[in-house]
Amino acid sequence: MDWKLTALRRTATAAAVAAAVAVGFAADAGAQQRELKVGYQKHPIQDASLDMMEKWAKANNVKLTRIPMAYSVFMEKVTATLTSGAGDQFDIIWHNDDWGQLWEKWLEPTDDVAGIGNVDKWPLDAFWSADRKLTVVPMAHTVGTFFYRSDLLKPEEVPKTFAELVATGQRLQKEGKVKWGYVGGMAMNNTWFSFWWTMWANNCDILKPLFERDNAKLKAANFEPAITEPCHREIVEYWWDAINTHKISPPGMTAYTRNEANAIFMAGDAAFTLVDSTHFGEFNDPRRSKIVGKVAMAPFPVGPRAQKPTSWNEIWGWGIPKGISAERKKLAKEALAFMLGDEEGQMEMWKKTGGPPPNVRLWDKIAAQDADFRMLKNAVFDQKPVTHSAYYFAEWPAVHKAYSDAVIAAMSGKREDIGKVMQDNVEKIRRAATGN
Amino acid sequence: MSSPTATRRPFLGLDEKKRFMLALIAPAVFALVFFQIVPIFTGANASFRDWALHDPKRTWVGLKNYLYVLRDPEFLFVVLPNTFGFMAASVGCSLGLGLALALLLNRKFRGRWLVQTVILLPLMVAPVIAAIMIRWMFNDQFGIVNVVLDLFGLAPVAWLTQRWTAFLAILITDVWLWTPWFTLLLLAGLQSLPPEPFEAAQIDAATPWRVFRHITLPMLRPVMVVCIVIRSIDAFRTFDIVWTISGGGPARATEVFSIYAYVEAFQFLNFGRGSAAAVIGAFIIVFFAMGLYRILNRWVEVSK
Repeated sequence: MDWKLTALRRTATAAAVAAAVAVGFAADAGAQQRELKVGYQKHPIQDASLDMMEKWAKANNVKLTRIPMAYSVFMEKVTATLTSGAGDQFDIIWHNDDWGQLWEKWLEPTDDVAGIGNVDKWPLDAFWSADRKLTVVPMAHTVGTFFYRSDLLKPEEVPKTFAELVATGQRLQKEGKVKWGYVGGMAMNNTWFSFWWTMWANNCDILKPLFERDNAKLKAANFEPAITEPCHREIVEYWWDAINTHKISPPGMTAYTRNEANAIFMAGDAAFTLVDSTHFGEFNDPRRSKIVGKVAMAPFPVGPRAQKPTSWNEIWGWGIPKGISAERKKLAKEALAFMLGDEEGQMEMWKKTGGPPPNVRLWDKIAAQDADFRMLKNAVFDQKPVTHSAYYFAEWPAVHKAYSDAVIAAMSGKREDIGKVMQDNVEKIRRAATGN
Repeated sequence: MSSPTATRRPFLGLDEKKRFMLALIAPAVFALVFFQIVPIFTGANASFRDWALHDPKRTWVGLKNYLYVLRDPEFLFVVLPNTFGFMAASVGCSLGLGLALALLLNRKFRGRWLVQTVILLPLMVAPVIAAIMIRWMFNDQFGIVNVVLDLFGLAPVAWLTQRWTAFLAILITDVWLWTPWFTLLLLAGLQSLPPEPFEAAQIDAATPWRVFRHITLPMLRPVMVVCIVIRSIDAFRTFDIVWTISGGGPARATEVFSIYAYVEAFQFLNFGRGSAAAVIGAFIIVFFAMGLYRILNRWVEVSK
């Protein structure tokens, strides 16, 4: 038995010595090169933004470590990291408007990052902390964009109303040019690409007062859902008809995420879609798409209750956890400032990925030399009114889910039951909003 | 002169042999305690507290989270029926198919090794990968399932837009993944049965059906009971397949217990409520498994 104990002791001693040596080496290496760890989603736009920071990192002898995470668990994982005291796991994290209200107290103010004055102010609404400090540095704009097939339609033929969208879609289907008129995501977390764009384009919203995003006012109105309003019932009926009556959209669309909708559009099977502009690069990627060079953008068609096309305009950004050391915060801010000031890199990001740059002063410059950007600017950035594509209170994810369940349930039943299903779900949405 | 080992005083009254044994199991105990026991107690503790993942106040709220879950009509009338329905259908189908395949593989025929290998392939596929493949196979535009239906002159089906067709897609995936597991265990059971009763039946010229009904099945029951209980517990907590194929939709129509707990805890960020749902689920499955085991055990006793 002695030899076993001796062996155990020797192994433990060797492990301790090895660990000490490793720590020594690590400390030595750390003294030579500093490191910034970035938690992000592997996406061409985020990689392009990190490429800009990489230039700064190389010039300053900083190692930029990219830690990719799946979109489906990103928010949950980072939230747990920020609130569990392990906030130093990342020095920079991907930040999104949907999460602004959740993370505001865990993120470092970014008002002092150089170049922050050059970004669009509207999308920042989601990112202010309780003491009015900004908690994000924009990386790119993500804007809902109406895409159409430019090989099938001239710009003047693009539908301007919901009714024209149906008529044009049916015409192209009858002519055998496409299998479907319109395709877009509808399942939970893809609500924007069907229900919501038409909702805003029909002068409607999820909660009352319509288009209100001040949490105090929404609370004062007891988070009253607007889903039984005529403007809302009309859009659910519109999509029910699009799938079942006019058949311009696939029967499986209520279960589609944006991936499935994009696959149909990129296969050349649909004439129109609406998705984030950030997918424009994908549509023009010859390895994945059959419609390269055949996609154009236009303002949203409008519903019967609206006069002008609407739009939404949000950003993807970067945040800095409060839990990291002052030195790393400083480094992170330097990296982000460099990214904001890298005009060449931002123009490159637009060309490679279709991600509109965060520095709005560049927009006119890019528009002057790039027809695609001119198109996007006209389709989205120049359109007023503009709305926010989410609400910014903590229970918003639950409200979104309750809303999605309500409209999908309505879509799965008979047309004449839509009003009743919406009425049945009012209390569920309110309950989700109040957390009771 | 005595050796240093002999003079060493016993630690906590344990001799060297026991200390050595303890040292060997210590890593496993450490892993179990820190990665299983502690998280269970942390979760149970959270279920009594106001514990939002984004703003963990951790104030004591007593049974509030439990009462919310137990009064939630969706949990009682959608989630639990879905969970038990899925469990019964999945375990029943996998058991039936697994038994049939085990009986087939228990015979000698040419190419048996090939059939055996092919049948076991699903065991090597991660459930989430299988579910992603199945989601695309059931896609109404690109899916192979509708192509096959079309070959037979049948209309395409939008599988994931209605409750029962979506449920069917989930069930098919689960049965496909788990049938080999049943096959493997039941085949091992079949091959360990004593040959004498079968030889006696052969002398009596019993038909294959009577042999199966009166000899094979009763003797195989203990193995089947273990399979049913283990798989039922596992089916109760199924998450990845349902989440990937339907996300619990359309409109919560295929939501099962684990999706409910996950959505509460990690989508709505209400860790307290999600933990309460998980604890309730744990109690349900413990009592269910005990009841099921007693019923099935009686079935085995009767068969003896």
